[in-house]
Amino acid sequence: MPIFPSPKTKTDDDFELIQAINAGQTDLFPELVFRYERKLYNFGMRMCRNVQDTEDMVQDTFINVFKYLKDFRYETKFRNWLYRVATSTCLKKKRKSKYAPERELSLDEFIPDENAELPVQVPGWATLPLDQLLNEELLSIIREGIAALPEKYRLVLVLRDMEGFSTAETAQVMGLTTENIKVRLHRARLFLREKLKTYYDHGA
Amino acid sequence: MTMVHDHNRKDCLAMFAKLSDYIDNELDDLTCKDIENHARACIPCKACMETFRQTICFCRSLTPNEIPVPTAFSNHLKSLIQKLSGQKRDL
Repeated sequence: MPIFPSPKTKTDDDFELIQAINAGQTDLFPELVFRYERKLYNFGMRMCRNVQDTEDMVQDTFINVFKYLKDFRYETKFRNWLYRVATSTCLKKKRKSKYAPERELSLDEFIPDENAELPVQVPGWATLPLDQLLNEELLSIIREGIAALPEKYRLVLVLRDMEGFSTAETAQVMGLTTENIKVRLHRARLFLREKLKTYYDHGA
Repeated sequence: MTMVHDHNRKDCLAMFAKLSDYIDNELDDLTCKDIENHARACIPCKACMETFRQTICFCRSLTPNEIPVPTAFSNHLKSLIQKLSGQKRDL
């Protein structure tokens, strides 16, 4: 059976704090910043890939949250709403700075060639425990692989496999359907698998 | 070692398309069983499934918040927020 269980729904840990801020205790807003500053900064570094854009994104996100928190209706967890604001800020920034169309990933490009010679056993790197494999070189290959993903695929992979959002939450954050999220996630993972396969095939 | 793949390619492609849904536990039991039976009989697909699963494990093993926020930026953010907190939010 699959090894990863579906993420469980949790209660919103930020509920009381947001209620207090919205009731007029705006001096508590720095506490909200303190809770999410590092998370958003790391999310920004994965998405924007440079310090200046990341800092701009984090700052603009908190300003927008401050302005619009009063409109937050608890229809979703605060964290999901925050990441929706951050994602939208990030994408707007990208559109301003680059006009080149993004590369699309298709399932076909990852299908093994019908005439290629195929493995007769599972490669060792897929069977060993993580602690026997992970080292600085591999971590850097993984990070480079993620950074090389076209943005719309990278965003889904980061939200799902690194930030721990469920498929439904990621769909909510990105304003897309769950089917769309699944398609992008699958292609992003296949892209990354190819990078790792190439790394190991060339004698890592 | 490699071999020429002689298994039913249609089944292989069907499995290939569903790997993420399978690993994320988003398929019904019957489809999961079909995938598991296929992977048992088809070594290349088993290899594909395990390398795919390991790829996801690698991603999930990355420390999500490993980079500390630079002190200068954190201080700038604090002062900006304090300034905002002192103002009305609808300004």
